[in-house]
Amino acid sequence: MVHPVLETVPPVTVEASSLSRRYGDRLVVDDFSVVIERGRIFGLLGPNAAGKTTTIRMLCGIIEPDAGEISIGGTDIAVAKRRIGYVAQRFGQYEELTVWENLRFYAEMYGVKDDALLQNLLARYSLERFRDQRAGTLSGGYQRRLGLVCAVAHDPDILFLDEPTAGIDPVTRKLLWDEFYELSARGKTLFITTHYMEEAQRCHQLAFIDRGKTVARGTPLTIRDSLGKVSVYSVELSFDPGVHRALRDVNAIMLINQFGSELRIMVDEDYPVAWLEEAISSVIGKAVPLTRSEPNLEDVFIALTLHGESAG
Amino acid sequence: MIAAIMKKELLQLKRDPRLAALIVVMPLLLLLLFGVALKLEPSNVRMAYLDEDQSIFSNLIKTGLWSDGYFQLYEVETRQDIVEDIRAGRARAGMHIAADFSALLAENQQPHVEFFVDGTMPSLATAMKYHSAGATGEGVTNDMYFSDADAPNVVIAEEPFIMDTTILFNPLEIETWYFLPGIIGVLLMQIALILTGITVVREREKHTLEQILVTPISKTAFIMGKLLPYVLIALIDFYFILGVGWVVFDLPQPPSHVLLFLLAAIYVVAMISLGLLISLFSQTQQQAMFIAIFIIIPSILLSGLIFPLEAIPQSVRYISYLIPFTYFVEIIRGLLIKQTQFVDLLASYAALSCFAVVFVAASIARFRKTL
Repeated sequence: MVHPVLETVPPVTVEASSLSRRYGDRLVVDDFSVVIERGRIFGLLGPNAAGKTTTIRMLCGIIEPDAGEISIGGTDIAVAKRRIGYVAQRFGQYEELTVWENLRFYAEMYGVKDDALLQNLLARYSLERFRDQRAGTLSGGYQRRLGLVCAVAHDPDILFLDEPTAGIDPVTRKLLWDEFYELSARGKTLFITTHYMEEAQRCHQLAFIDRGKTVARGTPLTIRDSLGKVSVYSVELSFDPGVHRALRDVNAIMLINQFGSELRIMVDEDYPVAWLEEAISSVIGKAVPLTRSEPNLEDVFIALTLHGESAG
Repeated sequence: MIAAIMKKELLQLKRDPRLAALIVVMPLLLLLLFGVALKLEPSNVRMAYLDEDQSIFSNLIKTGLWSDGYFQLYEVETRQDIVEDIRAGRARAGMHIAADFSALLAENQQPHVEFFVDGTMPSLATAMKYHSAGATGEGVTNDMYFSDADAPNVVIAEEPFIMDTTILFNPLEIETWYFLPGIIGVLLMQIALILTGITVVREREKHTLEQILVTPISKTAFIMGKLLPYVLIALIDFYFILGVGWVVFDLPQPPSHVLLFLLAAIYVVAMISLGLLISLFSQTQQQAMFIAIFIIIPSILLSGLIFPLEAIPQSVRYISYLIPFTYFVEIIRGLLIKQTQFVDLLASYAALSCFAVVFVAASIARFRKTL
């Protein structure tokens, strides 16, 4: 089923090719390319300092790329500014102004002066009861909502959200994601940076970057294959420093990850599971049966990041 | 714990090399500049004269005034021209020698020489009164005694002629009139530079600028939106301060309130946009404050508000003419105290307007729509 809006809005996509940006000697973004279709939620995944913020700022036109091309809906970013909304990572609304004054201000920057529409938006983002409260006194979660509502007041076709749910409780995060899906269903394109796996899994499309380089791209499902031929085993085992030390010496192991009382091990597919079991039982003094499991996005994230570090 | 805080503060300072440079370089520059520029002794003070006597004796007086380098004399046509030239700012002093000067001198009748001084410059007026002595010094007067080799000198008066000094425009030498008009400009400069000096850099530090930059706003719209409210506030402040000057200190009224408003408007735009420019060049609010202060201090000292421009050596005087406040002082003294004609203030109005235009244009040019 095609949403009626989709037929009237021209196909808007984000397209970037070979973006690079340097700060001094440091190449922060190296040859980043992306094509995002209309109505898609694109996730830019990566650890801290991977170049996510620089990338999103370049796409929004507030940082000049050293090289590369950006096209927003087929036009230059300077022309397309009216069609994009952006929420920076750090709270960027005016602390001295109330919620309502902030919203009015940002709406007016785009020529939107329809108070009834803005009032509806406030209700939609559960900000009504804080309408006359100064933005600086809001809690982190509501500040995020305010940032978002200010960015969508002019009904942009594309939303750029830099870590929109960082430091947000799970309930608020879910509410925000419901809103993202709603926007996506209405034909809006969303570009989201994150380092949360749970969040990345919600995206339609993903690119994984680490230290400026794109190391994997695809859907949450296909990106798991980017590690190549690996097996993941898990076992119920509380944290034991001896076990971790013993496993760290095995070259074939790509990742040792402790999740509470679960130990997850990612290893070359060719590496015999018996050898792993042997290595663990020799430390704790009893046999441990390893069960084969699917690599999740978190495994991929950590493995890709750590792998990059040891290679770099 | 004190040591930890101290260390942290020093580290933070070290991480802001621009601020460190400001702290070291600016005082050094200003010290050198003031050391060279700030003198109490004026030189080459322009003096309009009318010598209706045209005798060897009147020439002696003029030469006496020329010779110590204090005055730079030029001739005008009428006695009224002397006063008008001082009012217009073309001259700071004037002298009138009447046609009967040598005749009276010959008869030992002590002729009077009129001496005029611009009373709007405090130290200049005092210094000039003192320096007019160059005209009555012994070198001049010695040659004025009519001596006969066979007879004793016929000297009736101790001095052959008398110098009458008139302090123009501020005859009572009311002290508030000297400084108060200019002080209004100083206060306004402070308010303007500090109000707008932080306005952009604050948005940068608080990350609100980033959100503004993604909007389609044009550079001009951003700068104008930043300027205009502060221009209005500063204008209101100008009249508030001046109003207090009128009520409490009995400052005179200007000949034209339109001209006064014009001055206020141009000056305020120049100062507010200068503040904005500071903000655009600073990376932190601290830096902006420092730059503002380093503009305010030389503005006060080199503008002619306290020390006469004539006392600043020619080699560095051009700096005075690069200070917008110099023109404000010239105009407001002209308007409130000297009742100067608009045509004679035109050049100063034009200069001040140029600063306003340049500062606004530079702000727009400097503002980047990227982080």
